Amino acid sequence: MLTIVFRAVIIYIVVLFLYRLMGKRQLGEMQPFELVLTLIIADLATIPMAEVSVPVLHGIIPLLTLVVLHYILAFLCKVSEKFSQFVSGKPVIVINPNGIDYKALKNLDISIDDVFEALRGSGYFKIEQVQYAIMETNGKMSVLPKSEFAPVTVGDMQLQVEKSTLPINIINEGKIVKDNLGVAKIDERVVEKILKKANVKKVKDVLLLTVDKAGAVYLQKYHEKYTTMNISPLGEVEE
Amino acid sequence: MTKWMWFKVVSVILLLGVIIGICVLEDHLVTSALAMVNNRCYEIEVAIQENDGIVNGEVASLVENMEYEWFQKERGLCFLVNHKNTEQLGVEIVRLKTYIDEEEEIEFYVSLNIIKNYVETFQHFMGASVDNIL
Repeated sequence: MLTIVFRAVIIYIVVLFLYRLMGKRQLGEMQPFELVLTLIIADLATIPMAEVSVPVLHGIIPLLTLVVLHYILAFLCKVSEKFSQFVSGKPVIVINPNGIDYKALKNLDISIDDVFEALRGSGYFKIEQVQYAIMETNGKMSVLPKSEFAPVTVGDMQLQVEKSTLPINIINEGKIVKDNLGVAKIDERVVEKILKKANVKKVKDVLLLTVDKAGAVYLQKYHEKYTTMNISPLGEVEE
Repeated sequence: MTKWMWFKVVSVILLLGVIIGICVLEDHLVTSALAMVNNRCYEIEVAIQENDGIVNGEVASLVENMEYEWFQKERGLCFLVNHKNTEQLGVEIVRLKTYIDEEEEIEFYVSLNIIKNYVETFQHFMGASVDNIL
């Protein structure tokens, strides 16, 4: 049994390393060849894990071979547009200003119900609201609404708004994220001031503390309501 | 090229190196182990002919050597080859020893032939050929 435990650990580490090597896209929007790879990897990894008579290398070598193949395929896709289209296909317009392109639907082997499902997923319940719908190579549908049905943006309203900034986690579940102090351009003294202002005695009492570039602070203690405040560029804490 | 891209290129080259290295190592280990067994089988046959039978010190010593060398080689093979494929050979070598003790000459020849046949079969299915790939 101990052998199986160690084998599981080894294979887990190898698979994790290989997925990391293949990039983040693997976890989200997969191309057809990436999907095939994921399915095969899952199957290959389990064989030597459960079967003690099979050497671990019998699982690892095919995995490595597949990853190398994946790289070669991805490289060829980058180099040649035609090869990329052959392997992954190309985006197809299924709805155009004239309505549904039935020929495209037939070629993609999808039904009108599938199109409606994808449109509803994008927030459009009427087909006349849609200018273009494109079936992407990863199987997702991108929808461009007609101008009159597109959501109004701040730009459309020509309003002057403050630039949005990204909140940076300074304390995460009771621990200071030291790397982020430099990103937020504050030091631990400022953190102490914030905690003092919020009547927090210890860092470990804080569930989350974020600071954005504009100096807006969000602080929440465990099991308590959050508080907000501001810090000046000089590190002074304000209500 | 960014650092991450360099890392990927180096990783792929390393992975290719590991794959090729393991394939070469496997081929070398399997070939040398099987060649050793084949040679020992031939030596045993010669010893039987020279001594008119299996019950003599020379044959016993050769079988003993073959068993020792096989188990040494098998340790390395375990990393690369399915254990189920190699265990039969070990069992037959141990049987040879028992047949010498029990003076069962016919069974000894049967086992010896099984070993030779096994070596031949294993060499056939371990080699890289179109038959094996397909």
